Amino acid sequence: MPTLRIDQREISVPQGTKVIEAAEKLGIMIPRFCYHPALGSLGACRMCAVKFMEGPVKGVEMSCMVEAADGMVVSTTDPEAMEFRRYVIEWLMLNHPHDCPICDAGGQCLLQDETVSGGHGLRRYQGLKRTFEDQYLGEFVQHEMNRCIHCWRCRRFYQEFAGYFDYGAMQIGNRMYFGRFAPGPLESPFAGNIIDLCPTGVLTDKPSRYKGRRWDLQRGPSLCLHCSLGCNLVGSARYREMIRVEARFHGAVNGYFICDRGRYGFAYANHPDRPRQARVGEEAAPLDQALKTAAQRLGQIRERYGPGAVAAWGSTRSSLETLGMLQWLCQDQGWRGPQFFPQASLARRVKAAVARLDTGMAVSLRDLENADFIVVAGADPVQEAPMLALALRQAARRGATVAVIDPRPVFLPLEYEHLPVSPGDIDLCLNLLSQAARSEEAATGKLEPDAARFYGLLTSTNLEDPLLQERLLALGRKLQDCLRPVIVCNTDMVRETTPARAADQARLLQADKGQAGLFYLLPGPNAYGAALLAGREEVDLLAAMEQGGVKALVVVENDPLGSCPDQERLLRALDNLELLVGLDYLPSATAARSQIFLPTTTVFEKEFSHFINQEGRLQQAVPLHQGGTPIIQVGQGSHPPRTFLDAIPGGEPRPGAGILADLAAALSGEPAPPTAGDLWDYLSGEHEGFSQLASLTASALGEGVHLLPAEAQEPAWSPEPGEKPPEPPAGQLELLLVDQTFGTEELGSYAAPLQKVEEEPHLLLHTDLAADLGLAPGEQVALLLPGGEVTVRLQTAQNMAPGVAIMPRHRRLHWQKTGDGPVWLPPENIKKLSEPL
Amino acid sequence: MSTLPPELQTELAQQVAAADHPREQVINIMYVLQKHYGYMSDEAVEEAAALLDMTPLEVEELATFYDFIYREAVGKFVIHVCDGVVCWMFHEGSVFDYLCEKLGVCAGGVSADGMFTVLPSACLGFCDHAPAMLINGVFYGHLNPEKIDAILEKLRREYCDLVICR
Ligand code: SF4
Ligand code: SF4
Ligand code: FES
Ligand code: FES
Repeated sequence: MPTLRIDQREISVPQGTKVIEAAEKLGIMIPRFCYHPALGSLGACRMCAVKFMEGPVKGVEMSCMVEAADGMVVSTTDPEAMEFRRYVIEWLMLNHPHDCPICDAGGQCLLQDETVSGGHGLRRYQGLKRTFEDQYLGEFVQHEMNRCIHCWRCRRFYQEFAGYFDYGAMQIGNRMYFGRFAPGPLESPFAGNIIDLCPTGVLTDKPSRYKGRRWDLQRGPSLCLHCSLGCNLVGSARYREMIRVEARFHGAVNGYFICDRGRYGFAYANHPDRPRQARVGEEAAPLDQALKTAAQRLGQIRERYGPGAVAAWGSTRSSLETLGMLQWLCQDQGWRGPQFFPQASLARRVKAAVARLDTGMAVSLRDLENADFIVVAGADPVQEAPMLALALRQAARRGATVAVIDPRPVFLPLEYEHLPVSPGDIDLCLNLLSQAARSEEAATGKLEPDAARFYGLLTSTNLEDPLLQERLLALGRKLQDCLRPVIVCNTDMVRETTPARAADQARLLQADKGQAGLFYLLPGPNAYGAALLAGREEVDLLAAMEQGGVKALVVVENDPLGSCPDQERLLRALDNLELLVGLDYLPSATAARSQIFLPTTTVFEKEFSHFINQEGRLQQAVPLHQGGTPIIQVGQGSHPPRTFLDAIPGGEPRPGAGILADLAAALSGEPAPPTAGDLWDYLSGEHEGFSQLASLTASALGEGVHLLPAEAQEPAWSPEPGEKPPEPPAGQLELLLVDQTFGTEELGSYAAPLQKVEEEPHLLLHTDLAADLGLAPGEQVALLLPGGEVTVRLQTAQNMAPGVAIMPRHRRLHWQKTGDGPVWLPPENIKKLSEPL
Repeated sequence: MSTLPPELQTELAQQVAAADHPREQVINIMYVLQKHYGYMSDEAVEEAAALLDMTPLEVEELATFYDFIYREAVGKFVIHVCDGVVCWMFHEGSVFDYLCEKLGVCAGGVSADGMFTVLPSACLGFCDHAPAMLINGVFYGHLNPEKIDAILEKLRREYCDLVICR
């Protein structure tokens, strides 16, 4: 631990710390452009010059390039260092245009700040400025190359950190140009981060252009709801419109970055068709009146048919407050439910996963970066939870082996091994990997009895493909030498046994190596919370509705018509209802069908809300504004109407939890069911996973709390690891419904900027299989599903499992025709409709 | 689809296959393609990228970094005039300006007869013969206007095969 003095203050820092970082620990922000904590030092800009007065280094040097050492005495304010920096900033400004007033970075620009703080107030340079032509970089990033100061941050992130290679640095010296080989959309789904990184206005946020200066915006800490990782955001609103989202640093979750789905998905909150008014039948009604009518009608149904005739269906995108209140309401009223997942099988997989996480097992995204062997089982990170791919890349950059066991043609921006096996073989692959990773003698000699017994039960059937088998065993041998393995597993497309099996294997690795981690992906930003609330009980509302036992359904921030894989069955079941009450902030099909509709707020509006990410971390989103119809929509682009109102137009929506609380009060005639504070008390009694909630302070909630239990709820080992999950009948294909980075995730599919970049939906088949069926990529095909026909364009791939057909749950594809559970199709069910375009 | 002659394609593919890491061959491949196209055209960049399993951008980063890769069409002879400190000290007037004036071109331009391109270059390592220049791989030192005139005349008249860098 070297100890040094910076500006007369002493500090000890770990070996290898740069002087610029040591100063930051003292609260001294040395000016910088090229240095960034996530990207490291480069020494390109010369802005961080300080004077070394005593010690091993002498004179003016770059504080980002010099490691702190014992005996150093550093001055950041020495006249010589200050003069040096004044010249550097003047020199960096030589070519910089005088366009701050029309620059979207103005007011949020490191170059502005450091020009002023560096003491460069008057331009002395009279010559011509170097100029460039800008490029079209896609829908997200605006390019203004004349403003570049050559700090290299964008390129270092884009290529080194994120692993995409279509953007970089060209030319030399003063002409150095940051851009693409030719104009065109940036290919990386992490491209938006270069906007946050660029210290000047070269790379700015395109969708929010000209919409406001930073000081005009209502900004605050928020959360991303577009997958289960729970990345931290700063959200900005202005004139009742959500304008922009930036990454917010979180050491354990997303670091400094977010993905583009998270950055541009927020626009659902501004959707022009967003329902902002309560409705009874066809008639708009004031919210409290609609709420009373709902209570009345629900009460009548309860009276006529009993409490079980009312059911509640929520979703994993609601805050913990709303989920908790819905749970409370069901218990209080004796309603059926709530159900939180679109299908019973998904609920089982998620619960199986959540029940296996504990403090000894779960790892964060940041921990993952330090793993040395990562097995990704049944997950496609870039498509499902993009920031996971970025964490995997950091692990790979530190030398980790990444093995992906997944039927899809998975692409990752890093070096990885992909074993394209069908979902039914994933468990077997995990078994084989475990077996290859340790010799049986060692295992039986060293492992605890339980682990040894489990190990003994592992089957040793071989994979059909000997080549894959060999690769798997080679990976297993590599795993033998690794010390910090992690198993990543999604709960979406895998067999019901797989989440538990992944946990078993992780536990076995832990028993063997003393250290191993488990990382699940879950469906939705609050799936963890929903799984805890759902408890062990199975709810299958669809079946109950079909049997006619349910007469009224309350659907809370949920669109079963969009997410239920068997829409026809659902429609029939909905027809059996006497009453459908909907609460939502999305203009969904279910919202439109509701007889009584109550509008709720988004995560950005009115009240604090909390979500639990896939590793059990409770995090808080702060309301940014009061909501209401954006002024730009009220005025239809021109000045808003000059009428005086005492309420915000479109400002009626309220947080789901509050509406549900009022509903409960109206139903029971008693005021004040548990609200706010008491809700935490109620939840902490509801499940031991919530037990910490009752005692949390406001500041702890703000920072985020890990709710993981010390010991997982489920006994560690599955009883029958050898048992093979059901297999498709011979010659049939398994249809896999999957996610795509853009176009399948519910909230984002209502966001205009994401709609512009989503890929066309397509059906994916193995190249050889397509050829056997006489089909060619690009052709339009009809896919005959249990619930009817889907027309879709065909694509083929070599690097996927041969026996599967892959289709995204794309918003523009009517995929809800499959039914629950694995779908097996005879290949004749895919028919050619037209020649390729 | 590649538009290169099949023999060249095979030759390049072999060169790439023989390397431990394909991308270590990038400079050599660029030289071959530059020789084939006359300069490193956009098409050549894309060819190189496809051969080396790199993106065109990655090839472009290197192509625009090195002095001897020409991303625009050049004359038959490319004159790299030394722009190094020692040569400055020995310039009587400027060799660079003299050449530009004489050939009627600006830096990087091609003379009307298609014969010459003039480019500045970092120290050529020929300082003991300053001021110096390099034309298609051949050094010329102790330059003065008369000597330059003679060199240009000779190049115009005589066929020269010493095309090393293109
Ligand atoms: S574009 Fe921005 S981030 Fe990239 S080098 Fe220029 S100033 Fe730095
Ligand atoms: S990885 Fe998931 S949580 Fe993170 S920004 Fe992207 S969509 Fe949001
Ligand atoms: S921050 Fe140190 S040289 Fe740029
Ligand atoms: S300075 Fe011209 S050759 Fe070295």
